[in-house]
Amino acid sequence: MNSLAQHLPIILIATPILMASLMVLLRSRPQFQKVLNISVYFVLAFLSIVLLLQVWNDGIQVYEVGEWGKYGILLVADLLSAGMVVLTTCISLLSMVYSLDYIEKRSLSSTYYPLFNLMLAGLNGSFLTGDIFNLFVFFEILLLSSCGLVIANEHGGVTKISDKMEATFKYLVLNMLGSIVMLIAVASLYATTGTLNMADISVKLSAMSAAGTMPWHVFAIALMFIVVFGNKAAIFPLHYWLPDVHPTAPSPISAMLSGVLIKVGAYGMLRVFFLIFRDTLYIFQPVIIYLALATIIVGAISAVAQNDVKRLLAYSSVSQIGYVFLGMGLGSIYAITASLVYLVNHAIAKSMLFLSSGAIIHYAGTRDMRKMGGMVDRFPMIALFFLAGAMSIAGLPPTGGFIAKFVLFDAGITDKYYFEIGIALIFAVFSLFYMFRAWLLMFWGEIRDTEKYGDYSAQKASPLILVPIMVLAVAIMVLGLYAEPLIALATATAGQILDPQPYIEAVLTRVVR
Amino acid sequence: MNNTLLSLTIAIMFGIGTFLILRRDIVRVIIGLSVLSHAVNLLIVSTGVFYGTKVPIIANDGGHGVTEETGTIFNDVLSENILAPILAPGHSVAYVDPLVQALVLTAIVISLATTAFILILAYRIYEEYGTTDIKELRRLRG
Repeated sequence: MNSLAQHLPIILIATPILMASLMVLLRSRPQFQKVLNISVYFVLAFLSIVLLLQVWNDGIQVYEVGEWGKYGILLVADLLSAGMVVLTTCISLLSMVYSLDYIEKRSLSSTYYPLFNLMLAGLNGSFLTGDIFNLFVFFEILLLSSCGLVIANEHGGVTKISDKMEATFKYLVLNMLGSIVMLIAVASLYATTGTLNMADISVKLSAMSAAGTMPWHVFAIALMFIVVFGNKAAIFPLHYWLPDVHPTAPSPISAMLSGVLIKVGAYGMLRVFFLIFRDTLYIFQPVIIYLALATIIVGAISAVAQNDVKRLLAYSSVSQIGYVFLGMGLGSIYAITASLVYLVNHAIAKSMLFLSSGAIIHYAGTRDMRKMGGMVDRFPMIALFFLAGAMSIAGLPPTGGFIAKFVLFDAGITDKYYFEIGIALIFAVFSLFYMFRAWLLMFWGEIRDTEKYGDYSAQKASPLILVPIMVLAVAIMVLGLYAEPLIALATATAGQILDPQPYIEAVLTRVVR
Repeated sequence: MNNTLLSLTIAIMFGIGTFLILRRDIVRVIIGLSVLSHAVNLLIVSTGVFYGTKVPIIANDGGHGVTEETGTIFNDVLSENILAPILAPGHSVAYVDPLVQALVLTAIVISLATTAFILILAYRIYEEYGTTDIKELRRLRG
């Protein structure tokens, strides 16, 4: 058991990769695939929680892949990484359970399982790695597997295949450009410091900065990383792919994309800027703040005008990720705590909303909210869950979103950023408006004009679809009513982010074998 | 002189790639992406040649201290502002960093996979839309 606990970081990455190849081999036995996948995901979620507890109790865990010391690839689990891995494995477990009934059978067993496993490996890998080139490799795994998943077919075929391909083309081209920029940045960083280990780069850059010999192009590299992670997270000038891709993907994949995948950008920003580019942050903090504000504004205004339910949720994701980046830009320990709390709450609420919107469009046979209505009679449970999610995104008590927004605005006001917080508050009212507009259009009012649009399909959502939504809805309420553990965890994490010395020591003061 | 030519080549390749990406034809966009990724690969390789300055190679003793045979120091002595493994005094050797070549190999393999995927995607888009004009790909709006 002790030896297993030491190898947790690599297990969390290697198991999904192994599962991916196993799933390809087992594609003629769908029942076995289903059981195996769900049980492995349960184990992975459990192991990630064990890893988080381990990091919480014993400090930062460093795993040397191949035992090459700091010159090789390192997996580092600090509180931020371990927390993100817990979030990822839990949401992917629920999305996977949901997919079993939602995705078309043939596509499920031949391509969906392997790609989903690869995506999980990419996510866990990019959260856990301590090597900046390895981060690039995991980003590419993530990109390709998620592209394959966006095209996967759901039951009923609400979204046309041509739409999916168009969205995937945009996603792929923009993200390939992003990865080219990242490669340039990584190569320049390597040419400057002679190392790829993030902790090592951090030490060297801060030594240069202390000696006053930091080359000017470090600032250019930092700017490139803003482009890369901004592209992943859909920050304002780079957000145009997101409202096409997230709605056209099948709902469990939309939940993964909006819930976890855009958080990779936020994670990368926290990791790279607060570890490596600490000394350039005084220039880039205002840049991050104003990009975040622009993101909030553009996302909120666009979401108000949407009639497609999933497109509305996607624009809402753009707006909400702006709040996460706003907390990052403010930069005090309290603001970063707020940003992390916001990140977790948004991940849970938005996954829940996408999953329940999947059940809704499955039932209504369309994504257009104007053609829905009066579903509260037929679907009382989903209506209730969707309301909880909408309240969380809008920031109403007693949901988790209220706590997140409250902490964020409180942090901003404590640091005297009145203008920025004012704008964020105004557009928080917008989010209240568009979420409730969606809820009212879909669930309230008259039953839709059945002569014009045809009746709702008789098919009810199966338990496998309802259970994940219910779990996430309960999680939203729990995070709202009992938020202290999450805030305590986020505060400890923010402390680690702002003071990277323990991270650097854990990575570098090890005997090189 | 050599370095100037190499840098110029890389710059021109970046220019061509950017130009191709801004074209309306899907296939040209894809070719532009490949040209750009090759330009990046050249850029990475060009950073790997050293003439007696920083050499990030581990020696036999496990990476710390001075070894007389290779003449390299692998200690990062921050107080003396030694940041990367550097040459000991009295030695002057031209090195090629092996790590950048490993990086480039990885990048090439990755770009192979993405290019294959995006080419198939372009073919399917051609089947569905009957055109490779990127301006026709605007059914998703709002």
